Amino acid sequence: MALVPLSYNLRSLAVRWSATLLTVFGIGATVAVLAGVLALQQGFQTLFTESGRDDVIVFLRQGATNEGDSVFSLERSQILVKSLQEAATLADGTPLVAAEMYLAVRRFKRDGGETNVPIRGVTPRSFDIYGATVRVVEGRRLAQGVDEVIVGRKLVERIRDCRVGETLTLNTTPFKVVGIFDHDGPFASEIWGDRDRIAEALERPVLNRVVAILQPGTDLAGLKERLDADPQVPSKVLTEREYLTSQTAALSFVLRGLGFFLAVVMGTAAVFTATNTMLAALASRTYEIGILLALGYRPHAIFLSFLFEAFVLGIAGGAVGILLALPLNGVDTGAMNFQTFTEVAFAFRVTPEVLVTAAVFALILGLVGGTWPALRAAAMRPTEAMRRT
Amino acid sequence: MIPLALVTKNLGKHKLRFVLTVLSLSVAIFLLCVLRSLVVALNAGVADAAANRIIVQSKVSLFVQLPQSYGPRLALVEGVEALARWNWFGGYYQDPANFFAQFATDPEELFDVYPEIQVVEGSKADFLANRKACLLGVDTAAKYGIRVGDTMPIIGALYPTADGSAWDFTVAGLYESKRKSVDQNTLFFHYEYLEKSLESGFASGPGGVGIFVLKVAPGFDPVEVMSEVDALYENGPQAVQATSESEFQAQFVSMVGNVPLLVSSIGGGVMLAILLATLNTMLMSAREQTRDIGVLKALGFTDGSVSGVLFLQALVLAGCGGLLGMILATASAPGIAAAIGSMFPGYQVTRGTLLEAAGATALIGVLAGIAPAVRARAMTVIDALRAVR
Repeated sequence: MALVPLSYNLRSLAVRWSATLLTVFGIGATVAVLAGVLALQQGFQTLFTESGRDDVIVFLRQGATNEGDSVFSLERSQILVKSLQEAATLADGTPLVAAEMYLAVRRFKRDGGETNVPIRGVTPRSFDIYGATVRVVEGRRLAQGVDEVIVGRKLVERIRDCRVGETLTLNTTPFKVVGIFDHDGPFASEIWGDRDRIAEALERPVLNRVVAILQPGTDLAGLKERLDADPQVPSKVLTEREYLTSQTAALSFVLRGLGFFLAVVMGTAAVFTATNTMLAALASRTYEIGILLALGYRPHAIFLSFLFEAFVLGIAGGAVGILLALPLNGVDTGAMNFQTFTEVAFAFRVTPEVLVTAAVFALILGLVGGTWPALRAAAMRPTEAMRRT
Repeated sequence: MIPLALVTKNLGKHKLRFVLTVLSLSVAIFLLCVLRSLVVALNAGVADAAANRIIVQSKVSLFVQLPQSYGPRLALVEGVEALARWNWFGGYYQDPANFFAQFATDPEELFDVYPEIQVVEGSKADFLANRKACLLGVDTAAKYGIRVGDTMPIIGALYPTADGSAWDFTVAGLYESKRKSVDQNTLFFHYEYLEKSLESGFASGPGGVGIFVLKVAPGFDPVEVMSEVDALYENGPQAVQATSESEFQAQFVSMVGNVPLLVSSIGGGVMLAILLATLNTMLMSAREQTRDIGVLKALGFTDGSVSGVLFLQALVLAGCGGLLGMILATASAPGIAAAIGSMFPGYQVTRGTLLEAAGATALIGVLAGIAPAVRARAMTVIDALRAVR
């Protein structure tokens, strides 16, 4: 089957350069908006899922969906900690188990306004468990039993009283900031202090979760079953990765919903624009179509030729959209984790998933916009087309 | 003088192009209205807050309860006419995705401090008399098809029952709110019921009170009452923060993160895309009207009126699209409000939003009209008549 040479379409796009550019940039802006929203969602999601470890196990109160809801009395948490015979141990035999406190506290942003910052009461075992993933980058680690805190790197410039040497007051007790720590996941948006000192300052004699590293080869499914039905301290057992992934559900749902809504609405507008452009192209080339048909090109070749032109508009629009969205990659932002009602800092991530979605979306816009004009072009008869000027 | 008939004739020459452009425009303006309305809804509680109410909350965290004993003491503060307890229940109906607020409160106190809460179905007396009764917002009732007399089972995620069963509340009445300060999604039930259930071991969870709402007597300065309340518990056991109702609502808006920035970024993308689309259409029309321009000028029409023909076409085009978009946004508002009411209570397209949309429409029309108008003005009769299409 003889196809119309592709150079014919490319030249015609170049001749009508103003309409081509306007259409390409119109599609580009649409694609960039979608890519931006998706990059926001991806940034949030990767922060949580990629930093979660499979060998760190999280224990929550039965029925709780996050650390804020999960509450263990001191007594129950002791029972749970003691019952974990499966826990791995340090060289001196100390089990790698930590019962932690967690609370979203009210803090002021440097640029005004309030936000909820998670404060985590940790024990020395917490540092053993998280190991090298938690890195002190300035100052030092906090000492046990003292009114000191260390602050996640992402908070330092955003929240007041978070620099090393500054004093941060919790309820009525002043805590000294002695260090800054970094972490690839949500810990970098938290404040850490000695668990017992924090609990006392907040007048809050409860704990929120237990974390542990288990001996290699532990039957995790068996442990889940046992604790699920435990008569004394029924608990939910998750790997850290599972736990963190579950935390992204609500915001991911909102952002994906927003992205879908925008794609449909803005996509409709972009399709109409592409159709307009292609119809104009068609109108001014009726005579040429007549000639092509007279030369012996079949209607389906004409159809494919026009569709190809729309396809090129879509591809170019997608490329422009991606170029517009790329600079977003790595830009820091923050969003609310709806599960714990705390703010998490993260960066936009233009992941391959975002790029592929954006490119496919752009192509669809071009093709859908081009289909009808192409059909019209293919339906022309040579004599009629050549007569019309 | 501008020949107005030419404006409409030219626009009608390519009916399909006109319709497609108007549809793109209307979709874009619709989107801008929706985005703007989301921000308005988010801020509705702030804008409609009562000036004579003070919220007393923990200074430390939204999630820390205040002791019950604070209530009687706060009632003694000079200028406090009445007081209401609110305690966040944090449960869900059937599935965690069915999210709406539930609060334990004292019904008499509630009606005292919140005159905007009006029982529209069922009976206030039943709600007051029956300890297991609840009062439900009309929007939530409509969403789940709940009627007065039904039993509403709520799973207590924050207050789990000992045997894992749901809390059963009897719906004694449905309320409407006369102000945006209270949404129409909330379930209110007896604080006493919660307290007794915790005491009896039926359920477990944090005791105390989330917030106390003070109603300031006429003639007293709320600011003075606030500072007196703050001073009362400055040294613990739980430091408090007294704020005006509007500040309290603003605090939630600030916590959700930078939604206005997100919305304006998206809005910017939408504006750009639709401006390019409209400009594209206008440039296409203008090119086709080149000969007409020559003819008009030869007939003696001034440069101004000839370029006015093109400029007016852009304005009419944008105006039609904008108007349709605003009609779409207004007509769809009840549906959108029903779909996202639990996250954005009080979603509505306000007159202010419509005015802004009209402004955006005018801007698009002007920007899309300038280029063709300038071109028409500058063109000489000879050049225009000589132009090939």
